[in-house]
Amino acid sequence: MSESSGQVEIQSETDVLQTRQRARTAAEQVGFGTTDITRIVTAVSELARNTHLYADEGVMEWDQITDNGRTGLTFVFKDDGPGIADPDAALEGEFSTSNGMGRGLSGTQTLMDEMEIDTEQDVGTTITITKWHS
Amino acid sequence: MSAGNAHVVRIYDVLLGTFPDDPTDPVVDELQEAILTEMETAPPEGVILDVSSVQLMDSFFARHISETAQMIDLMGGTTVIAGIRPEVAVTAAELGYQLDAVETARSTDHALEMLGVNWNPS
Repeated sequence: MSESSGQVEIQSETDVLQTRQRARTAAEQVGFGTTDITRIVTAVSELARNTHLYADEGVMEWDQITDNGRTGLTFVFKDDGPGIADPDAALEGEFSTSNGMGRGLSGTQTLMDEMEIDTEQDVGTTITITKWHS
Repeated sequence: MSAGNAHVVRIYDVLLGTFPDDPTDPVVDELQEAILTEMETAPPEGVILDVSSVQLMDSFFARHISETAQMIDLMGGTTVIAGIRPEVAVTAAELGYQLDAVETARSTDHALEMLGVNWNPS
């Protein structure tokens, strides 16, 4: 069965695993190669963990998109968590507020073609990432 | 749906830790704990972390590998990461992970050889 969009609620470690598996299936359906699939799933893993770690819960929505004949995959992570205090610094990858490598967000940006962060303190965060299939 | 478990076995003076294909964070923590517990019993010459089934290395996983290797180093052992998949290696290189304290091997056989284990059937 082939789906071009969907969503995963992120509330537990198992849900984080679920986001990776759904991202992998979606990327395979678009026809991405193994390396791009790994880049996408790694990026999704970073953002899903951030959602679970900082906001406790949230949702990942994914959508297959087209633009000028090319196909892409976009993922939106939404939460009502504490927000990111300094998104620019987080993107520099120079500091870490958790026990990751301190490169979660900057790494995600490196692995994807597009990334947009919309965050407000005490309101929540929405991060959109896109990878185009060349 | 199963995340799989981490396994640690002792072969002579070497510990072999095996990661499942898609480990959750607690499973990665568990493996680190299991290795340290096993090291306490009798410090091994070396520790091989078999990641040949692992499909992605994100910052949490990389951090744990790096930390585990540092701990093993402090306890006088050598850590060898065995069997990183090509696509995972590409991603890890792009992300610029610092895995300096870690030796790498093509396979667990290669890792055993690096740790001085030889198999000479006569």
